[in-house]
Amino acid sequence: MTTAQIIFLVVAAVTLVSAFMVVTTRNLIHAALWLVATLFGVAVTYALLNANFLAVVQVVVYIGAIAILFIFAVMLTRKEMRDQGPQLNSAWWISALLAVLTFGGLVGMLWGWKGMDTLASEMPVGFDSVSALGDALISPNAFVLPFEVASVLLLAALVGAVYVAFNPRSGDSRK
Amino acid sequence: MSQYINPSDLTTILPAIVLTVWACALLVADLFIPHERKGWTAVLAALGLVVSLDITLIQAGGTSTGFKGMVTLDGFSTFLNALLLVSGLFGVALAYGYVRRMGLERGEYYTLLLFSVVGMMLMVQASDLIVVFIALELLSIPLYVLAALNVRQIESEEAGLKYFLLGSFSTGFLVYGIALIFGATGSTSYSGIVTAASAGTSSLLLTIGAALLLVGFGFKVAAVPFHMWTPDVYQGAPTSVTAFMSSGAKIAGFAALLRVFALAFPTLTADLTPILAALAALTMIGGNLIAVSQTNIKRLLAYSSIAHAGYILMAFVPYGNPQVMPVSVAAGLFYLVAYAVTNFGAWGVVIALEKQGGKGLEISDYAGLFWKNRPLALAMTVFMLSLIGFPPTIGMVGKFYLFRAVIDGGFVWLAIVGVVTSLISAYYYLRVVVNMFMQEGEPQTGSEFWVNFTWGLTALMTIIISFVPQPLFAWASSAVLRLF
Repeated sequence: MTTAQIIFLVVAAVTLVSAFMVVTTRNLIHAALWLVATLFGVAVTYALLNANFLAVVQVVVYIGAIAILFIFAVMLTRKEMRDQGPQLNSAWWISALLAVLTFGGLVGMLWGWKGMDTLASEMPVGFDSVSALGDALISPNAFVLPFEVASVLLLAALVGAVYVAFNPRSGDSRK
Repeated sequence: MSQYINPSDLTTILPAIVLTVWACALLVADLFIPHERKGWTAVLAALGLVVSLDITLIQAGGTSTGFKGMVTLDGFSTFLNALLLVSGLFGVALAYGYVRRMGLERGEYYTLLLFSVVGMMLMVQASDLIVVFIALELLSIPLYVLAALNVRQIESEEAGLKYFLLGSFSTGFLVYGIALIFGATGSTSYSGIVTAASAGTSSLLLTIGAALLLVGFGFKVAAVPFHMWTPDVYQGAPTSVTAFMSSGAKIAGFAALLRVFALAFPTLTADLTPILAALAALTMIGGNLIAVSQTNIKRLLAYSSIAHAGYILMAFVPYGNPQVMPVSVAAGLFYLVAYAVTNFGAWGVVIALEKQGGKGLEISDYAGLFWKNRPLALAMTVFMLSLIGFPPTIGMVGKFYLFRAVIDGGFVWLAIVGVVTSLISAYYYLRVVVNMFMQEGEPQTGSEFWVNFTWGLTALMTIIISFVPQPLFAWASSAVLRLF
């Protein structure tokens, strides 16, 4: 086995275990943190596939924004951090069946695919979409102004969101 | 290609930068101001606005572009930035006593207001559609939160949510328009768009993009038929917020609209002029007709603000005619000042009469005001006359310049629509006046210094500028757009 294959197997295992923990843990914050681990595993997989841009976007958008949003939302709106209800409903076996069928279908489709045992062609030299993007975002000749204004915008939105969701004086009067 | 930011890039938007830094510092400083002394936050916010206003006025007369043509400093932006900063000051002055009386005093109010002003200023200066888009969001998001400031009251929550949902929806139109324009011309900067358009690239996509842009801005300035949110939001939001948002957001929206259309779409005149004319006529007719049946003063002023969006839109109609354009831009700027001054005064009077829990907002609550508080009733009369366009008020002078520009542009019918709808509007504005003078009633008025100061000062300005409009109009005429 090559190093890349070993890394891939470890990452894949971590991703799968984390994904399983997301749906089984009863603590909502823990579930969100496991979700972060899952998404990070997917990002590493992208990076292994030479898809650097997708990896960065995965980290920035899914971990940096969406998962953090989950955590904020849970912390700001819930008093009860633990989910007490049953974790399965009566239709669980339908979902399980569908999941197994889909997995089987995918395996069947990919089984005969030639791409499985050929190597991808090498990247052209100097091809680096990520650094071009980074340059464009902070270069005064490109988009530094919108980029900075967007960060001010996010600050304003953050202040506003905290005000609306977490207003100590309104307390429980709205329940 | 320099790798570093030029000093001239920064000086082009220096007032906005200073205000941004001030707002961030205010956010931190507010932590150390004890709860009973939140008035200090207001004072600090006002100080920031004054500093920024100073820089704006020092820069007056200079022109430059920054960040590779993404932002422009010119007479137009100086004029409107000064107007926006003064609007911000009035907004702080009206909020100072009001939020304490209503139990809403929070430091975030002033920080968010400053952020919103920064968004407005950038929107005035933007000469790239991406900057327009982000500045518009920076303007809107603090306003969504401010509209919902009184989260304990269901109307305020409704106002915030409604404004947020419809505002996001309209932003969608705007972004789609920008995407189509980029698709048609390969550029988001105004100079790039106009170069591509005059080279004769496919103009159908460009026209659709420009029309979608118009829809997006139409929502923001509350033009009919995109006005549905206005009465509910203006009524539900705390009155000091309504006062600020009805002037500030409108000024910024019109400024961006004017700059986009005059600089980026001169080639689309044939398609867009009839649309703008129809929009202006519809807005004047719709706003004034629906206002007739209102009994709540906040809703009445909301429909009045819709109607005034129509009058201001008239200034845009001849934008493709190079002979008339400078005059009509000057008339539009003058009318924006007239509207802002009168509007802040009228909302100041509303604030002086408002009670806890949304009481004191019906027109019948104004009955007998003249016999109870003469200066206040006289000031309200001045504002109502100015909104009608009756001499001797600034509103009359503004309408005069506006109608003259439109007639010069060859749209006599539009001017006639304007005059007729002004006559209709006299009915509902004068009903407020009649109530104050000729009905019996026991209105209670507040006595906060800064509220009284605001309506007093704006009433004086409304009268005085109507006698000597020349200096202001001369300044507006010199506030030309910088071409590339």
